[in-house]
Amino acid sequence: MARINPEFTNKLKSYGAFDVNACYNCGNCTAVCALSDENNSFPRKMIRYSVLGLEEEIEVSLEPWLCYYCGECSATCPRQAEPGELMMSLRRWLTAKYDWTGLSGLLYRSLSASLSAFILLAVAVIAFAYRQDFDPGRLLHYGHYFEMIAIAGVFAVILLPNLIRMWYMTIIKTKTKVPAGNYFKALGELFVHMFTQKRALGCDDNQVRWFEHFILVIGYLTLLFTTVFLDWFASGSSFVIAAGYIESAVIFTITFIFVLSRFNKKEEVSKHAHPSDWFFVIWLFLMGLTAFFVRLFIDLDLLDGNIWLYIVHLIILVQWALIIVPFGKWTHFLYRSFAMYFQKVKESAK
Amino acid sequence: MPESIKTLEYDVLVIGGGIAGGESALNLADIGYKVLLVERDLTIGGKMILLSKVFPTLDCAACITTPKVSEIARHPNITIFTGAETEKVTKLGEHRFEAVIRQKPRYVNVSDCTGCQLCEEACPVSVSDQYQYGMVGRKAVYIPFSIASPRAAAIDIENCTLCGACERVCPTQCIDFTQTEERFLVKVKSVVVATGFELFDPLKIPRYGFGQYKNVITSMQMERQLAPTRPYNTILRPGDGKMPDNIAYVLCTGSRDKTVGNPICSQVCCMYSIKQAQLLMGALPMADITIYYLHIRAFGKGFNEFYAQAQDMGVEFVKGKVGKITEKENGNLILRYEDIEAGQVKEAEHDMVVLSVGVLPNRGISETFENQKLELDPFNFINQTDILASPAKTSIEGVFVAGTASGPMDIPDSILSGGAASAETTSYLRRAVS
Repeated sequence: MARINPEFTNKLKSYGAFDVNACYNCGNCTAVCALSDENNSFPRKMIRYSVLGLEEEIEVSLEPWLCYYCGECSATCPRQAEPGELMMSLRRWLTAKYDWTGLSGLLYRSLSASLSAFILLAVAVIAFAYRQDFDPGRLLHYGHYFEMIAIAGVFAVILLPNLIRMWYMTIIKTKTKVPAGNYFKALGELFVHMFTQKRALGCDDNQVRWFEHFILVIGYLTLLFTTVFLDWFASGSSFVIAAGYIESAVIFTITFIFVLSRFNKKEEVSKHAHPSDWFFVIWLFLMGLTAFFVRLFIDLDLLDGNIWLYIVHLIILVQWALIIVPFGKWTHFLYRSFAMYFQKVKESAK
Repeated sequence: MPESIKTLEYDVLVIGGGIAGGESALNLADIGYKVLLVERDLTIGGKMILLSKVFPTLDCAACITTPKVSEIARHPNITIFTGAETEKVTKLGEHRFEAVIRQKPRYVNVSDCTGCQLCEEACPVSVSDQYQYGMVGRKAVYIPFSIASPRAAAIDIENCTLCGACERVCPTQCIDFTQTEERFLVKVKSVVVATGFELFDPLKIPRYGFGQYKNVITSMQMERQLAPTRPYNTILRPGDGKMPDNIAYVLCTGSRDKTVGNPICSQVCCMYSIKQAQLLMGALPMADITIYYLHIRAFGKGFNEFYAQAQDMGVEFVKGKVGKITEKENGNLILRYEDIEAGQVKEAEHDMVVLSVGVLPNRGISETFENQKLELDPFNFINQTDILASPAKTSIEGVFVAGTASGPMDIPDSILSGGAASAETTSYLRRAVS
C-alpha cells in the first residue's frame, strides 16, 4: 500500500521545484505537452506522485527524463504550479537517487557545499602547481595525465555504478522481463539520443535551441577527444590544432548565448535557474575560453611567462571533471540517453 | 453655447437594468420610492433576457424576464434611461447623492416608434449583430431583438451612411438625426449598483482556436442558438451550416485560470453547460454531447439531480482539461486532453466545440464615484464590506450592490441579491425619515 508523505514537496523545493501543491490535477500540462503520448503521459502524474510523496513511484519512473523542458506546460498551467520546473527538479532528485555516493544530493541541496567543493579543488590545484615549481612543461604533462585518469576513474567509480543503479531501479524494480537480446537491439537508440538529442525536436518551435545544443554537444565531445586522445596542447599537427581552436570557440560561443538567455529569462526554460544550471554553463564557457587561450598562448610562445593562464584552465578542468561531471548537471546527458535506451528496451519487452 | 444640464430628483438611482437591478428597482418602486433606472444598453433585461432556459428547472428564461421587464417599464414609480451611462456619482452627505447621467442619442423618438421594422427593411447597411453574438447580421438601424424593452429602433451611427432611407419610410416620422447627447444632474438619496458581469473573451486563449476555427463557439453563442429568438431556428455550426452531431464542451475556459488573470470559479458554467447539453439532446436527438470538466460543481438546490439527469440522458462527462484544439480540413476539431481517470493523454474528434466561458467583473463603475471610494475585492468585483450580516453593503454608506456586480452568481442568487439590496436600501432610506 502506498504511504503518503506530504513532506516530500518540501524536500523537492531544495532541488528547485515551486509550489506544486497548487496543482488541482486538471491535466492541462499533459495535454499541451508535445512529447507526451498515450504510453507516456506526463507531467501531471509526476506532479501527483510528488504532491503525495510517492517516492518509490518516482524513483522507478523514466518519465522525468522524457521531458525536454520546452516550458509550454508551465506557461499555460492554470494554477501556475510550474510543472516544467517540477520535472527539472525531479531529474535533479533522480540524479541524487542514482548516485551511490550521496554527493549529488548534497551538492544540489546546498549551495555552500558546492562552493566549498569548488574552492577546495582550486586550492588543491594551486598547491600542486606550487609543488611543481609552476613549471609549464611538468604542469602540462600532469594536466594531460589527469584528464585521462579522471575520465577513466569517474566513469568506473561513479558513473558506471550509478548507471547500474538506474537500471536496477527502472527495470529490475518495475519487474519488467526483458530478453537479453533486446538490450542489443535497442542500443542504436542510446547512441542516437546521446549524440543528437533528437527527441528535443518534438518540442514546438524548438529547432534553434536544439541546433545550438546539438552543436555544443558535438563541440564538447570532439574537444574532449582532441585534448585527451590527440593531445591538443602538445600536438604539432596543424589539423589537430585548428580543430581544437574551432571546437573550443564553438563551446564558448554557444554557452555564452545560453548564459545570456538565462539572464534575459525570456524563454520558459531559462526562467528558473538552479545554481547547478549556472555552474554547468559557466564552467563549460570558461573551459572553452581558457582552452582556446592556452593553445593561443602556446602558439604565440607566451605560455611560459603566463603560466597562471594554464593554472586557471586546470582549476576549471579539475572542478568540471570532479564535481560537475560526476555529481552535477553533466550527468543529465548520460542519464537522459540511458533513459531513452531503457524506455526502448521496456517497450520492446511488452 | 454653454451645455445646458437638466436637474432631476429621485429617491434611488439604480445603475444597471439587468435582472438584479430590475428586481431592486421594482421592489423599491412598489414600496413607493421614485426610482431612476439607468441602463447602458439599448434595452433592459440584461443578459438573462438573451438566454434560452434556466437551470435546473428548464423554465424559459424569456418567459420569466419579459413579464418582469414590462412590469418595470410600465411602473409609475420607475423612470428608465436606456443607452445612458453614469458619468459620476458624488456623495454630498447622508441621503444626499448627486449623479451625472449621460444620455447618448438614439436618433429615434422612442415614444413615437411603433417597432414596425420598415426602417430595418429600408436600411442598406449590414453589420454583425451583437445581440446574436456575431452569428448573424443586422442593419445599421435596428431593433435590438424582438422582446427588447423598449421595443424601439435605434441607429448605430458609427455604421450609418446617413443615406436617409429609414427616415423616408418611417410611417410615424420618429427618426431624428438632430438628436445630441444630453446630460442630467440627478439628485438621489441612495444608489444601487447592479452593473453585472462580462463574459470572458476566449481570444485570450489562442490554443483553443476561437476566432480562428469557425466551429469553435462560446457558450453564449450556443445559448442564442437555443433561445426562442434564435438566429438560425435550429442548431448549426457556423463553419459550413452543418447540423452538428458530436459536440464538445470545454469547461473552465477563462475561469480558475491564473494565466488569464481570473483564478476564481464562475459558479455558473458547469450548470449552464449541463443545461445546454440537455437542451441539445432535445434539439438534436442523434447528437453526442461530451463535457470536458475539471470538477463538476453542482452545489445548488436541485443541481446535483440535474447533473445526474444529464448523465442518465447520455451526456458524456470526461474529467480532464482540454489542452489544445486543432482543426481538421473538414472543419472538425481535434481536442487534446488528459483523461485523468485513465492517466492518459488522448485526442478526440468533435464537429463543434463550445467554450464554456467564465464570468468576469464589469469594470469601470468604481471610478465614477468621486469623493468616496467604492472598494473592489481582489478579483475586481465590488467589495461587500459586511458579506455575512449585510451582503448588499459596500464601502460607501448608502450605496448598495446587487447581483453579479459583487461576484459570479446564478439567476436565483442574483434575484435574491437584488431583493437584499432593495431591502437594505429601504432601511437606509427609512433611517432618513426618522
